[in-house]
Amino acid sequence: MRPDVAARIILKAEKPLLVVGAEIADHGGAPLRTAVRLAQELEMPIIATAHSCKFLEKEGFTNYVEMGLVELTNAASDPEWQGVEGYGKPDLIIVFGAHLDLMNALFQTLKSFSDIPTLSISRYFMINADFSLPNLDEDLWLQSLEDLCREVEKGRAKAPL
Amino acid sequence: MTEKQRVKIEKMSSPVLKMGNVEIVLGKVEDAWDEPMGPTPKPRLADLRDWDMKLLNRYEPFYSPICDMCCMCSYGKCDLTKQRRGACGLDMRTQQARTIAMESVIGAACHGAHARHVIEHQIQRLGRDYEIDMGLNIATEAPVTRAIVGIKPKTLGDLEEAMEYAEGEIQNVLSSIHTGQEGDYKDYESKALHIGMIDNLVKEIADIAQIVGYDFPRGDPDAPLVEMGPGTVDHKKPVVLMIGHNVAAGAEVLTYAEAYDKLDTIEIAGICCTAHDLTRKNPKAKVIGPMSEQARYIRSGIADVIVLDEQCIRTDILEEAKKVGSVVITTSDKLAAGLPDMTSRPADEIVDKLVSGEIPGALILKPEKVGEVAVKTAEMIAPLREGRKAIPSKRELVKEAKKCTACEACMRHCPVNLHISDALSAAKKGKLKALEDLRERCIGCKRCEAACPKEIPIVSLMEKASEKMLKEKKCKLRSGRGPILDTEIRNVGPPIVFGEIPGVVAFAGCSNYANGAKEVPEIAEEFLKRRYIVVASGCAAMALAMYTDEEGKTLYEKYPGNFDAGNLANVGSCVANAHILGAAIKIPHIFARRNLRANFEEIADYILNRVGAVGVVWGTYSQKALSITTGLNRWGIPVIWGPSGVKYRRLYLGRRDQPEKWEVYDAKTGNKVPAGPLPEHLTYVAESKEEVIVSIARLVMRPNDTTKGRQIKLSHYIDLHRRYYGGMPKDLPLFIRTEGDIPITEKETVKNILKEAGWKETPIPDPTLLERMIMKRV
Repeated sequence: MRPDVAARIILKAEKPLLVVGAEIADHGGAPLRTAVRLAQELEMPIIATAHSCKFLEKEGFTNYVEMGLVELTNAASDPEWQGVEGYGKPDLIIVFGAHLDLMNALFQTLKSFSDIPTLSISRYFMINADFSLPNLDEDLWLQSLEDLCREVEKGRAKAPL
Repeated sequence: MTEKQRVKIEKMSSPVLKMGNVEIVLGKVEDAWDEPMGPTPKPRLADLRDWDMKLLNRYEPFYSPICDMCCMCSYGKCDLTKQRRGACGLDMRTQQARTIAMESVIGAACHGAHARHVIEHQIQRLGRDYEIDMGLNIATEAPVTRAIVGIKPKTLGDLEEAMEYAEGEIQNVLSSIHTGQEGDYKDYESKALHIGMIDNLVKEIADIAQIVGYDFPRGDPDAPLVEMGPGTVDHKKPVVLMIGHNVAAGAEVLTYAEAYDKLDTIEIAGICCTAHDLTRKNPKAKVIGPMSEQARYIRSGIADVIVLDEQCIRTDILEEAKKVGSVVITTSDKLAAGLPDMTSRPADEIVDKLVSGEIPGALILKPEKVGEVAVKTAEMIAPLREGRKAIPSKRELVKEAKKCTACEACMRHCPVNLHISDALSAAKKGKLKALEDLRERCIGCKRCEAACPKEIPIVSLMEKASEKMLKEKKCKLRSGRGPILDTEIRNVGPPIVFGEIPGVVAFAGCSNYANGAKEVPEIAEEFLKRRYIVVASGCAAMALAMYTDEEGKTLYEKYPGNFDAGNLANVGSCVANAHILGAAIKIPHIFARRNLRANFEEIADYILNRVGAVGVVWGTYSQKALSITTGLNRWGIPVIWGPSGVKYRRLYLGRRDQPEKWEVYDAKTGNKVPAGPLPEHLTYVAESKEEVIVSIARLVMRPNDTTKGRQIKLSHYIDLHRRYYGGMPKDLPLFIRTEGDIPITEKETVKNILKEAGWKETPIPDPTLLERMIMKRV
């Protein structure tokens, strides 16, 4: 999937939720800034898994909810789940920056037990996500994240208030 | 306890009968154990189902299916996605639970078969009536056995009764996995929990038989420091390498070498748990390391004879050994490796065939014969094998690296996502540091080699790049001490239950680490410095010895081996981890004077609500690690897995947003009261070292903590959260019952958090989940 298509999926969602894992800081500051840009543009909280909240705080971003990745997955697979604190049940879960096994587990679980669509914007293709960026080398991935953010910002600017 | 009465008739002669050397078993009688029989002696599946459902309703199973299909019968295969059911009617959730039950059975069966073999071997050596003597300071010799089976084993023969019960349960649960049996996921989970408990039992049986039979340390906190690491072996001597978990054969190698005064002229070393147990028998034995070392150490060519016993052994050992001319001896009918059965042949004939290369290895089922053959063969073959290895020269390494096209297939297949092609790119230019660094995090599984379209021997290249480091890699491991002493429990029982010793952290399991073994000692030391009790077993206990501080000391050299605050106790091999659970069981028995005999529910309820113990299996890999975890869970002990644990496909997770699930009875009043999400999860997967550290601090809290105890636990939680997550935890209101729980140094900050959250005081209960434990009804 191209970044502009991923951006359209994000723009179509009314209540997207962004999940950011602890490996977000392993690739320099760019992916972290992508997360913050997306969250601010879409006015959504970030689910900060493991110690990723530390990096978000450093970026000055505080609208996050601290949760384990499997805790979030568990809650999201419950049809009765009302969503995170005051934000409501999401209609799209966007994930990146977490350990591959755990991201894969999230997508597998939600594929089997939830109707919430999922989108992976991690560097590797996630076969069990509903939508996923392909396998990319580091530079192309970082460029894709930048393109994705730009498309989302452009789309929001065009959208009627 | 029940005990068989035996009459031995050496010689008898009468007009109608002549006989000799006959032993008659007259039956069983009750002896004078004054503890009354509890409610669940030898519990069957249904006997503890109510307890399981209490746990499963609070810790609802979470499933992450690895596979969308069920392929177990010829109706299928059946697609179970999108709420579909298979041809037998099974749904996805139940199929996952069924797989968990099956894998737990495999784990328990492994430990059980090990126990059965050890008992039979020891009875053959020492006799059925050989006394179980665990030493002066251990009166509660078999806490797990007492609590489950309801017997107090006095002899090796008594262990058979517990073993027979366990084997029946393993068969029963295995049968439930057949197509068209159980159809409810929670009932499958109850079966998994049951079999996890059986796993606890057979491990205890196995280790008691080993301790008694081989005279291993009996709870010795000062068990010797032994040599560990690839650099500890003198390559110039003949080397016998033992791999596996059942030390029966390895012990005989040691016995033979001792008897013929060869311990200084040959090297006897081990990989995996059998290595732990070799050092428990004789501290001169050496430990190479955990399972991750198997393939690469064999490729180094150092081992002349490789003796395999059972469990967690790479199935390509024979192929690897052939590349370097090492001889393989298999010693178990569970792992024959296609080798000829030479058990009945004379030892010297086997040695001749092995040394001449007529056979690449041999199956020898008599441990004593293994001892003789292994030592003699190593001595004879060592001079013939000199210099043989499957590690390339530096020139060959660079040549191999140049084949790499950076397709990244290696990285995509690597279970721990190592950036292998980047390291190979550097190696093309002769720069080997990146490859050496990778070896530190490599788990030695060889999936990269299998995936490489250019057939680059990546693991061997890492080995070459790390050659100098490996030669120097020597460290100190404290040999397995065995059980925790009753006297130690008397000292630490009250502060653990009241929360003043903030927790017990138990490291166990395999070496499938997401980010290298180094994280294990880093996590452990964080809690040792904070005066938690840290215990260890298996490959995790080895990981704790693999790294040294600036003064060259490992954790075992820095921290004493007692079961006490700020101490590090290595109990030994995987089967010895039953003693860690045994310590938790002894707390209600010795400190709180709760009856132990066949009293599972009451003891588990006590542990769940009062004993702040947490297991950490940071490198999950085997079915045994699953059954170990599931067993601990049934007793109310939470376990944190590393990221690979999610591939077991099931967790037991609590939900803090469902307060109704966290109510307990206050035993003093009979009222149901909130007890916070404590412990919040039973099986949890953490994403990073930082997350496991913070999670441990949270999971050791228990409803029974006194205000002083809760203050101590919360002050560690806050401090660790600040350090690793960068700020105050937002969930403090969940864990504070009264203002007395607030750590004094944080009073004002925490009060503000509580105010903002609209926090209200809650009572501190005398907590229990069991209605029958209520003392007074209102």
